[in-house]
Amino acid sequence: MRISRNPRRAVAAGAVLAVLLPLSACGDGDDGGGSTDASGKVEGEITFQTWNLKANFKSYFEGVVDGFEKKYPGTKVRWIDQPGEGYADKISADAAAGTLPDVVNVSPDLVAPLAKAGLALDLDKSASKYEKEYLPGAWKSHQIPGMDGTYAFPWYLNTGPLFYNKRLFKDAGLDENKPPTTYDELFDDALELADKSDGKVATLANVPTIEDFGRYGVPLMNKEGTGFTFNDAKGVELLTKYKKLYDAKALDGQALTATPESTGKKFLTEAVAMNPGSALDLEKFKKDAPRLYKNIGITPQISSTGKDNMYVMGVMVNTKTKQTPAAVAFAHYVTDSRRQMEFAKKVAIFPSTKGSLDDPYFTKQDGKDETRVRVAAAKSIKTAVNYTPVLFSEQMKVELRNSVAKALQGKQSPKEALDNAVKNCDRLLQQS
Amino acid sequence: MKSTTASQAAADLAGADAERKEPRPDGRGPRRGIRRQLPTSPWLFAAPGLAIVGIFILYPFLSTLNNAFTDKRTLIEGDYVGFANFQELWHDEMFWIGLRNSTLYVLGVVPALVVLPLLLALLVQKHIPGITFFRSAFYTPVVASIVVVGLIWVWMLDERGLVNALLEAVGVGKAGFLSDQWLLLLSAMTVTVWKGLGYYMIIYLAALANVPRELHEAAAVDGAGAVRRFFSVTVPAVRSTMVLVAALSSVAAFKVFSEVYLMAGPTGGPAGEDTTLVMLVQRVGTGLTGRVGYASAISVVVFVVTVALMLLVLRADRKEDA
Repeated sequence: MRISRNPRRAVAAGAVLAVLLPLSACGDGDDGGGSTDASGKVEGEITFQTWNLKANFKSYFEGVVDGFEKKYPGTKVRWIDQPGEGYADKISADAAAGTLPDVVNVSPDLVAPLAKAGLALDLDKSASKYEKEYLPGAWKSHQIPGMDGTYAFPWYLNTGPLFYNKRLFKDAGLDENKPPTTYDELFDDALELADKSDGKVATLANVPTIEDFGRYGVPLMNKEGTGFTFNDAKGVELLTKYKKLYDAKALDGQALTATPESTGKKFLTEAVAMNPGSALDLEKFKKDAPRLYKNIGITPQISSTGKDNMYVMGVMVNTKTKQTPAAVAFAHYVTDSRRQMEFAKKVAIFPSTKGSLDDPYFTKQDGKDETRVRVAAAKSIKTAVNYTPVLFSEQMKVELRNSVAKALQGKQSPKEALDNAVKNCDRLLQQS
Repeated sequence: MKSTTASQAAADLAGADAERKEPRPDGRGPRRGIRRQLPTSPWLFAAPGLAIVGIFILYPFLSTLNNAFTDKRTLIEGDYVGFANFQELWHDEMFWIGLRNSTLYVLGVVPALVVLPLLLALLVQKHIPGITFFRSAFYTPVVASIVVVGLIWVWMLDERGLVNALLEAVGVGKAGFLSDQWLLLLSAMTVTVWKGLGYYMIIYLAALANVPRELHEAAAVDGAGAVRRFFSVTVPAVRSTMVLVAALSSVAAFKVFSEVYLMAGPTGGPAGEDTTLVMLVQRVGTGLTGRVGYASAISVVVFVVTVALMLLVLRADRKEDA
């Protein structure tokens, strides 16, 4: 019996440790934070993490890193690129483990929780001198309701038109050269298309998302950023109209479980007549769906507010970096006017720096479809809005989606469904 | 000679024991030196394994257990909230949907995975020319990546996919395999069964190889037909394997994630109605705003239910034996 006593003690000690170790995590640990002062000498080694950019833009980013290291001798930038799939999970794992890179490519909804956790550097305090270089709306895109400060440099912006299938419009007896330009026209055309095709051709393939509510003119959040408001009369009106589309099969049957990829595929295979996209998609249509490309129609986004939706990408600096001056300098270097313009010419995105959109690249037509889309998008982006509230998390998106699905299936009235969605999103907001 | 040696050895040990038990001059009790050193070496050999178990199994498990009683979030260390997470679970509609779907998955998948692979094993058990091809073919889904399998089935079951085209061709009409709540769950179950058939077939093949041929011959001599021989000879002979398959497949079915996630999408089907418990854990516990404490509470429920399932199956087996 005596023999087993020591191992037993060891096992017991191990168990106690295993219990205590996680408990210890609940206490305040040493944050190991760096300085928020970015005015010192730009030197040292920093890490820079991007989001699915290596595959197509390796040489561009290597050039950016080389340029920075040459401009600031004594610096070294280690570039890490993560796959798009599960990017938020990767960031959260790094943030929780204290291994978040010094400079990180983020979107506003990712910045919000990082800023709340004290991991995103407030640029209004550390790098306010750069603010004037960016479009005011873009600079504000990384501000968080309820918090003072700006938590990431604005990087590239994206928006795009609505694509439609002229052949499907024509087959349904609609004028293929007169696509819908208002919501009323869109819903009318969609119902007619479904009716004429016996429900075989839907016009839309996705349920309304938070940006759709925003574009329809629904107020999404209160001014204080403490509660959601998309269950107002206008929101109910939009959902009621979508319910009508769903019942008439003008909304694709699989819309309730659709993802952006699956809706793109539906449009590509000509199962649906309209889909939002960007100039990038034209190349894809040309290559993957030549028949669709021959019949492709391009029309501006439909919006009741007069402002298109845009997506914003940013670059934040980790507050825990040991090389704050170098990290801030690099984040600015990547997002400055020259680098953004170079990047925009490699891919269909739009710079967030002042004056860049006035470059002839974004204003002059040359007769090509790609240019037409680019010029139109660049024009709209000057007034476009990122309708997705920065505090609207992935879990909230699922809550809204599920409530919308219940309304479309007739399990709840549109009002009841939106009330529930707001209630659940508010609860998640309180818990975040 | 042998007994002498044994006696001698026993005497030596007794002497050594007496020596160890003998009090030391300073009155500190018997020496234990030799005896203390002896058991160390097995533990040293076991240490790497124990360390791995401790770090990668015991620690995460205890950590999850601990987190279940906190309001910890991904980036924010939580406070202890007692049973608040479990109380919230009780009132969470999605939790009950998840529990319902995971339970339905067990009920739908386990009987199929206990019976069908056995029948398949009986089919491919025979040593006839070309049987290796069939064995390999049936095993292929097991080695295929679940993501690839999921995508293939999604393509086939899509509104414009192969299955719906066939249904339409024979005049049945299209079915919403990927849009109807119940059909979606059934489709996912079909994929699970399809992918698991080969794996359990191999287990049954091993069990069938151990069934004495004489039993079948004796039953045949007594006039038993193939069906009678199956129920009277084969099934009793492989019953313990059937219990094992039931136990393994029920635990796997209750923890299902990939098949449903791939086919129903990240929302868990229309209005989340096809969400399983593990999908719920993933949804609420990951991301920058993930509620780690709440997700841990769901994980604890999954753990308790799977242990209960195992005990239930094993208990049923014991009752059969008695």
